[in-house]
Amino acid sequence: MTMRSLRGTGGWGKTRRMDATVWAAGRRIQSVCLAAGMVCVLSASCLTAEASGGKESSQEEITLRVCNWEEYIDLGDWDEEETIDLDSGDIIGENSMVEDFEEWYYENYGVRVNVEYSTFGTNEDLYNMLTLGDTYDLVCPSEYMIMKLLTEDQLVPLSEEFFDSRDGNNYYINGVSPYIRDIFEKNEIEGKPWADYAAGYMWGITGIVYNPELVSLEDASSWKILNDPAYRRQVTVKDNVRDSYFAALGAIKSELLTSREFLEDPDYRKNLEAEMNDTSEDTIARVQEYLQDVKDNAYSFETDSGKADMVTGKVAANYQWSGDAVYTMDQADEDDFPLAFAVPEESTNIYFDGWVMLKNGIGDDALRQHAAEAFINFNSRPDNVIRNMYYIGYTSVISGGDDTRIFEYADWCYGAEEEEEDVAEYDLSYFFLGEDAEDPKGRYVITAPSEQIDRQLFAQYPDQDAISRSALMVCFDEEQNRAINQMWINVRCYNIYDIPVWVWCAAGIAAGFLAVIGIRRIKR
Amino acid sequence: MQKRTFSRKYLGIPYALFLVCFVAAPLIVLFYYAFTNGEGAFTFRNLTGFFTDPNTLGTLFYSFGIALVTTVFCLLLAYPTAYILAYSRLKAKSVILMIFIMPMWINFSLRITALKEILTWLEGNLAYHPFLNTVLGMSYDFLPFMILPIYTTISRLDGALLEAARDLGAGERGAFLRVTLPLSLPGIMSGVAMVFLPAMTNYVVLDMLYNSTYIMGSLIGSYFAAYDWHGGSMIALILLGIICLFTLLTDGAQEENTRGGTLL
Repeated sequence: MTMRSLRGTGGWGKTRRMDATVWAAGRRIQSVCLAAGMVCVLSASCLTAEASGGKESSQEEITLRVCNWEEYIDLGDWDEEETIDLDSGDIIGENSMVEDFEEWYYENYGVRVNVEYSTFGTNEDLYNMLTLGDTYDLVCPSEYMIMKLLTEDQLVPLSEEFFDSRDGNNYYINGVSPYIRDIFEKNEIEGKPWADYAAGYMWGITGIVYNPELVSLEDASSWKILNDPAYRRQVTVKDNVRDSYFAALGAIKSELLTSREFLEDPDYRKNLEAEMNDTSEDTIARVQEYLQDVKDNAYSFETDSGKADMVTGKVAANYQWSGDAVYTMDQADEDDFPLAFAVPEESTNIYFDGWVMLKNGIGDDALRQHAAEAFINFNSRPDNVIRNMYYIGYTSVISGGDDTRIFEYADWCYGAEEEEEDVAEYDLSYFFLGEDAEDPKGRYVITAPSEQIDRQLFAQYPDQDAISRSALMVCFDEEQNRAINQMWINVRCYNIYDIPVWVWCAAGIAAGFLAVIGIRRIKR
Repeated sequence: MQKRTFSRKYLGIPYALFLVCFVAAPLIVLFYYAFTNGEGAFTFRNLTGFFTDPNTLGTLFYSFGIALVTTVFCLLLAYPTAYILAYSRLKAKSVILMIFIMPMWINFSLRITALKEILTWLEGNLAYHPFLNTVLGMSYDFLPFMILPIYTTISRLDGALLEAARDLGAGERGAFLRVTLPLSLPGIMSGVAMVFLPAMTNYVVLDMLYNSTYIMGSLIGSYFAAYDWHGGSMIALILLGIICLFTLLTDGAQEENTRGGTLL
């Protein structure tokens, strides 16, 4: 007899970026029609290039292997109506970002570059792909995976030219938010600052999306909501170790983290980071206990169903990344079902996805490295940043520097209409000017409808207050990882000692019964 | 000059290649990882680890429990259906059979999504009954695999045997218990195997129906996500062993029954 295997495993696997899928699917249909047109345009441009004799080195072609999160870059093909009409001009994604880059690179540097673009689902998937021998030049993992790759000496540092702010094409260094740049320069791993190796792409924080009719802002502002009996079976939790661990730390240390003494300590940020990266044996045991409680109390651990369940009203609150929170609230708004976003008082996990170059791909190939860095720069050009942000919903690390279009875009998205009365001022100077900078003229203050203060605007660009209690979660070493993964398995698995006595009895009787039948058959 | 002849065995080459690439090679890799540690040295620790860890044993038990309940539930639903269908004189028999098979034409994750909505409507909040929901979801998914083999065996039964039983004085009930049921055992066995084995590992159904407890499939996934290829491979290997054992047992039972059938 043959065993029938399962037909497809369906949508398994955490994707940080599932939200744009449906949206993108609609676009794909159009893309079929557009593809034909594009082929014509491309071949035409090839012809003209050849006719004019090409530039110096047009013969050689560079292949750049890029691996990014799924649905994490603009794929183009926007509708006419989707045009973002900023005062400084319209922005629309016609071609995919990758195609635009190839063209831009040829125009600027006279070299053809062919981008082999692929995607991954989770940081762990990417790491496994790399260990199993896939070769990429440029990848975009989250900060802890960058740290892991850096510790394992797998990364090529960014070149000096990349940081040369005089070069007009260096959009990254000229546009990166001073606040983010500061984080990338201050955080070190093995004595090397991140900034030497990684260029940021998107960032965000973690928090709770909630239905304000069922959950109070106060309840949603604590990690303790995850095991709050008042919301029994009404809250979903992220199904991955790191996010769950962070939330559990926040909950079990809630009293300490919100105490006046702790908050007013001059070393608050340092202490907070230490507390939120605590992996002592005792803490892990307490986290396990807490998460077991969460498992019994929450609706479920979810990989990507949380957004839909929130929008359809199956759950009242949902542990979410800020970028996905924006998407969830947008979706719910379409059904006139207002949701809100809260950042727990204890602490919030700030995360970054950043571009890093890999040693086994780039090697000493200076041309390829140049193309890789140009790819980062092209994606940091303000109009492209806006295209990516609009397409995927996350927040870019780029603030634009002298170019004000990104702030304009934020205002375009969330600013109040002139006739609106119930408005509030929302200060974003920390992001656009730096955490300690003064903004006397209030250039980076958005006048937004006051409801936006705890909704999309807040999730897209958290306010200074939320940012001040954000903590990075570092990359744990092998031993810590083993302990935490074991803790997670303990939480998720059914323990054999929990089997009730009657089940053992029933199993014994059944086994005896089967044995008797077997013996009788043999005798016959 | 040698004469080139086309032998029929050349036709097997594509399948042999397929076997080597997609069955033999992965198995060798699986064995390699299962019996080595992080440094690549040979070890039995993964094996002993499996049988000393209350979590892996508990998960094995839980998967077994889900698979068992699902199988019994499917059998209780499928046998009467197949029986009635096989003996009915309805002209629309094939249409009714089709109705049972039709869900198989739809992608199973779509079906589970639909089931999720129905169950939410019935239960209000799904999260209170994770075990029940999982069993319902799996039964919904695997029911056709139980109905089909049973239906086929029953409808192929020689009617003369039943007539003989009645002539020799057996009542409706006696004839069923002593003739139809034993003779349909091979169908039941293949149905059980087709439902029980996938039900032990189909973690997607659990995941979609919000059951937060791991079964074997998700446990292997969690080992891989933690970069522990060795422990994960060992679990996969042990699962493979259990499936082999189970298949051998049911095959043995089937053979015995066909022999028993001819004796009757």
